[in-house]
Amino acid sequence: MSTSSVSKGCFVFKPSAKKKKTPSLKDYFIHGCEGAEDSETRFQLCQNLWDKIKADTEALQDELNRKILDSLLDFTRKCSTTRQHSDWAAQMRASEIPTAALVLGVNVPDHDMTFQSLSDLLQQSVSPHVASVQAKECGALKHLMKRVLERLMDTEVTLDDEEEEVTEQTSTQLHNSVHCSLETLCDWYIAKTKKSFSGTPGKKRSSPGRDDPQQPPVVIIFKDLEAFNPRVLQDFILICSRYIQRLPLMFIFGIATSPSTIQHMLPHSVSSLLCIELFQSLSCTQHLATVIDKLILTPDFPFKLSDKVMQVLISIFLYHDFSVRNFIKGIQLALVEHFHSQPLSVLCCKKKEALLNVMQLSHTDLERIRQLPSFKRYVEKQELQEQTNLTTDDTHLKEVCRKLIKDLHKYHKNYYPILRCLHTMTSALPRYPLGKQIRELHLICLEKTVWENEDYQSAMKLLKMLAKDELITLLQRCAEILQPVKSKKMKKARVHLEELLAKFRQLDTVAAETQSCVEDSLISPVKNLGKKTDLFQLQKTLLEMNETRRSKKLNPFELLRNEVVEFIDSLVKSHLSPPETQTLNEVCYYSSSTAVRRHLNATPRTSIQAALSSPYYYLQNNSLKSEEGSVSNAAPDICIAYKLHLECGRLINLYDWLEAYATVVSAAEGNHPDSDNFGKVDEVKHARFIRAVSELEFLGFIKSTKKKTDHVARLTWGGC
Amino acid sequence: MSKRKVGAAHMPVGECITQVQEILRQRFCRQRVPDRPGGVEAQHKHLLGLLKRTAVHGESNSVLIVGPRGAGKTMLLKCVLRDLMEEKEVQKNLLQVHLNGLLQTDDRIALKEITRQLSLENVVGDKVFGSFSENLVFLLEALKKGDRSSSRPVLFVLDEFDLFAHHKNQTLLYNLFDVSQSAQTPIAVVGLTCRLDVLELLEKRVKSRFSHRQIHLLSSLTFPQYLERVQTQLSLPDDFPDENFAQNWNSSIKAVCEDKSVRDVLQRHFNSSKDHRTMNMLLMLCLSRVSVSKPTIKPADVLEASRMCFSDAKANMLHGLSILELCLIIAMKHLNDIYEGEPFNLQMVHNEFKKFLHRKSSSMYNFEQPVIMKAFEHLQQLELIRPVDGSSAKTQREYQLMRLMLDHSQIMEALQKYPQCPTDVKQWAMSAFG
Amino acid sequence: MVVVVLGAPGTILRSVMRSKMTALLQQPGYEEERLQRVAEKLPCRDVQAGLLLSLMGQPQQYSFPSIFIYGHRASGKSHVLQVLLKELELPHATVSCVECVSVVLLFEQVLLSFFGCDAASLLPRSPSLSDFVRVYRQQCSQSPAKQTRYIVMEKAELLRDTDANLLPALLRLQELVEDNVTVILLSEIVWDKFRPNTGCFEPLLLHFPDYSKGELQQILSQDRHPSYSAEFYSSYINILLGVFYSVCRDLRELRHLAALNFSKFCEPLAEGKVKDTDTHKLWRNIEPHLKKAMQTVYLREVSSLQWEQMQQMEEKETGTVRGLSAHTHVELPYYSKFLLIAAYLASYNPARTDKRFFVKHHGKIKKTNFLKKNEKTSNHLLGPKPFPLDRLLAIFYSVVDSRVAPTASIFSQISSLVTLQLLTKVSQGDLLDAPKFKCAVSLDFICAISRTVNFEILKYLYDFL
Repeated sequence: MSTSSVSKGCFVFKPSAKKKKTPSLKDYFIHGCEGAEDSETRFQLCQNLWDKIKADTEALQDELNRKILDSLLDFTRKCSTTRQHSDWAAQMRASEIPTAALVLGVNVPDHDMTFQSLSDLLQQSVSPHVASVQAKECGALKHLMKRVLERLMDTEVTLDDEEEEVTEQTSTQLHNSVHCSLETLCDWYIAKTKKSFSGTPGKKRSSPGRDDPQQPPVVIIFKDLEAFNPRVLQDFILICSRYIQRLPLMFIFGIATSPSTIQHMLPHSVSSLLCIELFQSLSCTQHLATVIDKLILTPDFPFKLSDKVMQVLISIFLYHDFSVRNFIKGIQLALVEHFHSQPLSVLCCKKKEALLNVMQLSHTDLERIRQLPSFKRYVEKQELQEQTNLTTDDTHLKEVCRKLIKDLHKYHKNYYPILRCLHTMTSALPRYPLGKQIRELHLICLEKTVWENEDYQSAMKLLKMLAKDELITLLQRCAEILQPVKSKKMKKARVHLEELLAKFRQLDTVAAETQSCVEDSLISPVKNLGKKTDLFQLQKTLLEMNETRRSKKLNPFELLRNEVVEFIDSLVKSHLSPPETQTLNEVCYYSSSTAVRRHLNATPRTSIQAALSSPYYYLQNNSLKSEEGSVSNAAPDICIAYKLHLECGRLINLYDWLEAYATVVSAAEGNHPDSDNFGKVDEVKHARFIRAVSELEFLGFIKSTKKKTDHVARLTWGGC
Repeated sequence: MSKRKVGAAHMPVGECITQVQEILRQRFCRQRVPDRPGGVEAQHKHLLGLLKRTAVHGESNSVLIVGPRGAGKTMLLKCVLRDLMEEKEVQKNLLQVHLNGLLQTDDRIALKEITRQLSLENVVGDKVFGSFSENLVFLLEALKKGDRSSSRPVLFVLDEFDLFAHHKNQTLLYNLFDVSQSAQTPIAVVGLTCRLDVLELLEKRVKSRFSHRQIHLLSSLTFPQYLERVQTQLSLPDDFPDENFAQNWNSSIKAVCEDKSVRDVLQRHFNSSKDHRTMNMLLMLCLSRVSVSKPTIKPADVLEASRMCFSDAKANMLHGLSILELCLIIAMKHLNDIYEGEPFNLQMVHNEFKKFLHRKSSSMYNFEQPVIMKAFEHLQQLELIRPVDGSSAKTQREYQLMRLMLDHSQIMEALQKYPQCPTDVKQWAMSAFG
Repeated sequence: MVVVVLGAPGTILRSVMRSKMTALLQQPGYEEERLQRVAEKLPCRDVQAGLLLSLMGQPQQYSFPSIFIYGHRASGKSHVLQVLLKELELPHATVSCVECVSVVLLFEQVLLSFFGCDAASLLPRSPSLSDFVRVYRQQCSQSPAKQTRYIVMEKAELLRDTDANLLPALLRLQELVEDNVTVILLSEIVWDKFRPNTGCFEPLLLHFPDYSKGELQQILSQDRHPSYSAEFYSSYINILLGVFYSVCRDLRELRHLAALNFSKFCEPLAEGKVKDTDTHKLWRNIEPHLKKAMQTVYLREVSSLQWEQMQQMEEKETGTVRGLSAHTHVELPYYSKFLLIAAYLASYNPARTDKRFFVKHHGKIKKTNFLKKNEKTSNHLLGPKPFPLDRLLAIFYSVVDSRVAPTASIFSQISSLVTLQLLTKVSQGDLLDAPKFKCAVSLDFICAISRTVNFEILKYLYDFL
């Protein structure tokens, strides 16, 4: 099997991804989805949302790549300039080929985009001559040559030892097609530079044209260095180094693992021809963090993921592939699934539209709303009269829905800022009680009410021990977070914060000296807490600190600090309640994690084995019902064969197998166990058996072996 | 400067030297054919007769000239041809086709070449032939048309004959021999090869059509003859413009050949190989030392020349190695001693080297793994060590199994000659077990 | 010979050389001053040059059909030839065999440089040797050689990989084309490795010995920094050689090193601490620095550019020379890490010890119980052994802490590790066909990896019991 990277899973959802591309698939979406009546609108919503997400992520990509790309560009420029001015030191370096080792991490699928933008940028700003090659397209040196030349000169290059049927075209051929050698490339380059810059004095190519200022370098990008055949690479570099005087070459190595691979691939005689500079791209975990930050932790997108789905996606990322691209694809899948399966997703959109759509809701939709668990809970809270209204009166329900939708949006509007605030407050704490990454905190909040979580309690305790300056900085940051948000609650919160900060400032002016003594007595424990590593120790210290606190009376600073913590706590309690508690949350939250997992992290093997060992599970044929482990003899041949083969060892004697099979089958045919032709092997049975066996072989459970005649080797273990 | 200055009784030395170089170089580079075949008169006579019969009486023939490299096969043939061409009707009659196994690597190319050498391209034009034989026959027919009465005899010379035997089912050979059997066109096929077992290479159908004529050039040269040949090769012809220079030269050559040390050296050469080429090489080297300032060959020159011929290349390369690389080689040698020449990998060598370093706590040699790796690579590049299996890409470099391509004596010898070899390293090398 | 003056200080040596050169590089048929210029351009190679020249003889005279020159890298093989042929304006074609991806390029280049481009265009598509010889002959029948023509083949060892006839044919080209042409082969590998099994025309062997320390000193001292005195620079070179000579005698490499470290060497001078005659102080200053350079620059772990930048910043934070191999850390997905660990264990532990390591209650089994007689050498000396896929998975499932479903992505990760060269696939064939793998990472690497998932691998390695 050929694979490109760690991040290669099975993209079962690829077709659904295509849906967005071709409009014809719209009705494909509409067809067979729940509540067909308003599916067009849902499709539209889905489409728009996805487009927005896509645009944002791409913008994000470029943003993230910019830094490293810029440094690369600088490098190339610097090289092409140093090539020209020649001081004593530069002389000595003249023979080296400048090379950028670009370390991109193991998530290869994400690389393509990077390289694409890289070569684009290079072509815009540094040099028009950029060629990028991949390992799989150049197995031998001449193919590599061919590719490079073709891409640089964009003419078709003939490998001379390739025989061509058409003979009469040779005469013409020889003129327009070129030999694949760097010599030709050189000539081409000289001609090109002369043509483009007519100002330069006409040079023979024997005289190196390195002193004239405008000589764009020829950049060759090796996308996946590891995959290249070392031999080929070495030869290519050797050749290039012979022309470096005439041809300002430079390389860019795309490295997935670590730069030391260069040392492993190239012997000293070759690596000494390169002048390697290292460039480290930012790690994909950071990348993911930013993506989540921009995509998930924002009220801009009405579509939300439930904790389970979130969990699945993140674990796929962390455990299996480091591919951000796949993560986004996962989100896309969830998106499509949501709009496809949930009729009420018409309301999953911007507030205004949502309110409009509420009015459009049909009776059935309203019924659906009434069925929503969250709504039921809501209803139960109302008094009887209201309840009856809600259950009977559609118009009234619509009104209520409008209100509820508004609440939901408010909830989101407030949720994220507070989440960030809490994160800023807690992420600085020792041992990260609420997680280092904000996504962890987010998951906690989604899962259940955060303030009932004991980690949260301990975090609050720790907050109560923060030193003043730390606290103030944290509060200021919170204030900054709340700054841009425009909702009354948040504004109020910010005002309050400001007041608190002001009070702190007053404290300084009032009692500095008491302050100081208090502080050091207080800072110290927290400080050395940072060193503590095991939880037990931590709790112990916490306890004894409480002791101390109780013992001595609180000074103004402590009072104020407690006030702050109380305030934060109150904010959390009011805004970070889990989404399940919100009415109509089903509209926005996609929660079926199993579907996502089934698609993104398939387990073909187990499903095959399930199918074979308990066919009823798939066929739903009552005659196949059987107690666990055993297979009814009415099952398909392959199931029987499989079942039997599970009892065998490494090598399976075909004849015994056949016998056993025959007995089972003839039992199925219902002829009597002690009738003489019971378990006889006739042609039909034989043929069926053979077919079953070959099917098993095709599925990779057995394979023919030469170890022993009439035996096959078993390839799988356990898993019955 | 033309050498056609006959009669000028006396010439400046420089002039003479130039002449000498001119003449002798031509000899050694086998450009000029000697006037008479030295030592192979019998074969000469035989072959000459054979070819004459083809050329004059139009009788087909096929013969193989077999002899080791540098035994003078080509020389013999050239002599024969030259003598053959002296006769008028042969000259106007005989056509020659020279093929070389090195060049005509398959029969298609060979046929093209034949067509070209018979200058029949225009006749063939763009005809399409069913089979190879058709094509060949057509060619020969075309020749016949050349003049009505009788078809002209064709001489095919196949140098490196054995290579032709490797062509796809030996079509060319088959057809040539076939023609030579049937009396359609008189052709003579002369094959030159250095493989004594060449007939084993031929397919049955081909072999059966070959007249098993073979001329063997197994030089049964005695040392006196060898000496004599050296002398003749070096001495100037009588028509040399400046007689007395020539005489001096020849006498000096004579003197050199009689010199004791020179004889010993030549004896050694004689024992190693008695063919023309190696001799020529030796003489070439001697000649190259002749200059205006030193207008004769001295025994010293011969000795120096032979020293160059006999110098052990691998030892030479060993001298160029760095101390580190040398140490590695010694370590390998020890490994070979311990494990009876089992292949080794870098790790083992490094280990062995480390042992040595531990024993003498001299810190000057302890380098990091990478540095050692580089040295190891260099050795591999020089093919002083060679990987056991071809799958180099499969395994990590430090674990790739290697064999040492040097033997014990070479290493020791090299160590002795090695410039400023540290004594402790020497001792380590001497010591019986790592 | 050169041997006479081994180790002699540069100045004396140079004078000796001068006298020698004028003596050696005399050859009728060439202008005196040309020879002189050649002599100047070839320091310490005059013996070889002289020999070569005398072999070549006068321009119009025949030379030996083929000459094989061998010697270490940067022992001036191609340099000497280029200088000779260029300065004396002899007709020649220089071909580097690395470049000849197909023989056509070789043929073309030769014809081009002897007879001009129209000759090269006479070659048919995908020409054979015979075509080449044919074209060559008809060309040189039109313009016969007045002077010996030379074909110089660099990196001749690669000729062995091309079709078998090429090398023998080239060796006797003179005879084949009946022209005054000499083929000169350059290689780092001795001739014995070239000889085809049926033998061939033996070339004239010529050895270029590597430069002696004294000669290196002399040559390196020539490209001195314009703003410093020759003595000063040569003393620097002396120190440099003292450090590097034992590892590397490659002139090119040494030159590179000299260039890079010189600025550092001069620093105390610039600061006025030391004056340029006080060699010892200078030595003490530069020596550790050079030692460091050995592991970084010499290995090309950092580019010369970066090295220079480092030297500027070094005053601020010292000894932070992070070469390529410093960045061995690789970020991998969680399961990939464990797969890699499992692979490492599988390839360095004997299969029969798995029970002892991975079965929960294996009781007390001593190492001695497994120890076989023949296992003196540790597996880390012999290298990784291949292992079947299911063994890998078995170990994987037992080392990874949580329960893992055998999802498609687990399997794809294995094959991805292969493409990343962290694993290597030993047997060919697809994943169904019970493939075998090897782990291709070093011990340090795997230790780093297992530290990130806090798994003490050393406890599970048979060699470290």
